Amino acid sequence: MNIERRLLLAALAACSTALPAMTLAAAHAAPAEVQLRMSWWGGNEVHRAYLASIRRFEAKYPHIKVKGEYTGWVGHLERLTTQIAGGTAPDVMQVNWNWLVLFSRDGRGFYDLNALRDRVDLTQFDADARDVGTVHGRLNALPVTMTARVFYFNATTFAKAGIPVPSSWEDLFAAGPIFRDRLGPDYYPLALNFLDLLALCRSWVVQHTAAPLVDEARRELNATAADTAEMAALYARLVKEHVIAPAPERASYGNVAEQELRPWITGRYAGLYYWTSAIGKLTETLEPGQKIVLAPYLMRPGARDAGLFYRPGMMLAINSKTAHPREAALLLDFLFNDPFAVEAFGLQRGLPVSKVAVATLQARGVQRTLGWDGNEQVARLPHRAGESGYFEHPRVRDGFIDILEAQGFGEISAAESGQRMHADVNRILERVIRPDVPPDRG
Amino acid sequence: MSSRESAGFQLRLRYAVLIGVGFVMLYPLLWMIGGAFRPNHEIFNSIGFIPREPTFEGFTKGWRTSTEYTFATYLLNTFAIIVPKVIVTVISSVLVAFGFARFNVPGKRLLFALLIATILLPKSVLLVPQYLMFREFGWLDTFLPLYVPSAFATEGFFVFMIIQFMRTLPAEMEEAAVMDGCNSFQVLTHVVVPVILPAIISVALFQFMWSMNDFLSPLIYLSSVEKYPVALALKLSIDVTEATSWNQILAMSTIALAPSLILFFAAQKYFVEGITVGSVKG
Repeated sequence: MNIERRLLLAALAACSTALPAMTLAAAHAAPAEVQLRMSWWGGNEVHRAYLASIRRFEAKYPHIKVKGEYTGWVGHLERLTTQIAGGTAPDVMQVNWNWLVLFSRDGRGFYDLNALRDRVDLTQFDADARDVGTVHGRLNALPVTMTARVFYFNATTFAKAGIPVPSSWEDLFAAGPIFRDRLGPDYYPLALNFLDLLALCRSWVVQHTAAPLVDEARRELNATAADTAEMAALYARLVKEHVIAPAPERASYGNVAEQELRPWITGRYAGLYYWTSAIGKLTETLEPGQKIVLAPYLMRPGARDAGLFYRPGMMLAINSKTAHPREAALLLDFLFNDPFAVEAFGLQRGLPVSKVAVATLQARGVQRTLGWDGNEQVARLPHRAGESGYFEHPRVRDGFIDILEAQGFGEISAAESGQRMHADVNRILERVIRPDVPPDRG
Repeated sequence: MSSRESAGFQLRLRYAVLIGVGFVMLYPLLWMIGGAFRPNHEIFNSIGFIPREPTFEGFTKGWRTSTEYTFATYLLNTFAIIVPKVIVTVISSVLVAFGFARFNVPGKRLLFALLIATILLPKSVLLVPQYLMFREFGWLDTFLPLYVPSAFATEGFFVFMIIQFMRTLPAEMEEAAVMDGCNSFQVLTHVVVPVILPAIISVALFQFMWSMNDFLSPLIYLSSVEKYPVALALKLSIDVTEATSWNQILAMSTIALAPSLILFFAAQKYFVEGITVGSVKG
């Protein structure tokens, strides 16, 4: 009842701005004040950009007040989970792509943005971008950025070794021994932690199968035991050919993020397989005088698909139970497409998806970044295979990584590792992906 | 003569070892303080803690924060939570411990077992039910859920600790007080509390430090940034896709550590006495 009246008032107010003649008559019916809550996680720069954008948004729509509820990355999911369980989630939320499978298995966990298309300009998003946010035909969330892992190499170190950066898998394998012989045994062409390694192995096998690694419908891996054996064999070969450091050696530098890893900072680990959205932070901590370059994506001979894991960097969604969906949609549209917000965020979180946002950045002469180049490379590569969000499900990911770790520390052989990846992960997938909830369930 | 010399040598050796080990133990702390005075790019480049180009940038920028509020807001919020929490914890724990130690209530053994069981219960199990309960009370986004539960002696460990302390007290003292006309409550306040003061101070210190570091409960219960305590504020700028300004975080951690350190040194004498009691006496 109350909501209806507010909507009516809002509609009246909208009319009053559209038809100046009516302004006098409707003057006393100023739109009722609406209070929106919005949550996000981020670092200093993200907080500043959001807060500045929100202030500008409030100036543009004086009847809407937005309260930012933000945290760092740690704990944000726990907090959101509690809020969603308790029915106290904010109206607008920044979410991760794989959270859609946690909170909106049937597509009803978030507001269907298709119903708000008059407020959110969906035409700024291409089909790829709309698909990743769609669950059972409902547009749950829209991506702020899209990102994939690509190859970045430290050109300075490669120059020291006297070879160009790799442009094929064979080049990469060949670079290992050259690094060892010319630079020293603690120089490696790639720095991979187990998560990076898993992603690399996935790309390797998908370049062969040309299908997503996780088959959501059949609740199992889209790979035979021979394929997973290839993943384990790739890992064994990378270590044997001195392309990456053996697990015990890597672990001796501490379990830290790559940008805080000493051999990366000094250039002794000379390459990464990393997200285009986050490469910026990895170049920031390098010792001065080193240059990181984007390498051609490594493809197996005859590969039909690059095996990219192309997914949203982060997404924005509206609470399915919000009392003010239309105002929330205005905020969403502002954050995606308004030149002020676009410029405030710049390329901090990677290249935006919204077309008008990219055009705005280009028009303002924003400098290109490694991430931007990476996204353009991704757009040119064959990437039809896609991937299921369940590949990033914590239990699936840990299932893989536990086995790779056991292999890395010599507890099991490569052959056994390949076998177990097939058997164990299939079992996990069967448990994690519950049989489909009918999408039309009330 | 020679024995005095060797005693002096032994003393020097002992101190050398103690200072050496102490230095290793304190190194992370020194590194943190040193890191607070360094520019961000210098932090991961050396393990030494003396800054090459000292700067106050970490303090000035960190104090201003990237939010609408300065760090002072977060410090004050922390105290607005901790001070009532410590007070109610001490009062409730002492009362409950006195009850367990001195009165025979039917089912006391069972109740005591339940109390000990709550120590073993992982906190995360209670998270969602408690969240729902406080939602019904309308307490979300206030400080109340953070300290009101402590008013009911919910920290079993503290109750247990005080009970152990009380067991070491001779009953004669309290009997004498009763002979002089004290009721039970007066026995507690006039006789028992002054004697168990070291234990009470330990409880207060523990609660102070634990609450200072508590991250999860404020994270869950507080949604407004203006109400965040220090533990949340320090993590506000740590993200996975952005290089972290560690110098600011280290600078603010240094400031946030000061109250705990000052309090600890002020109460150190009682604190050590409090936690070691019962270790030699039965």
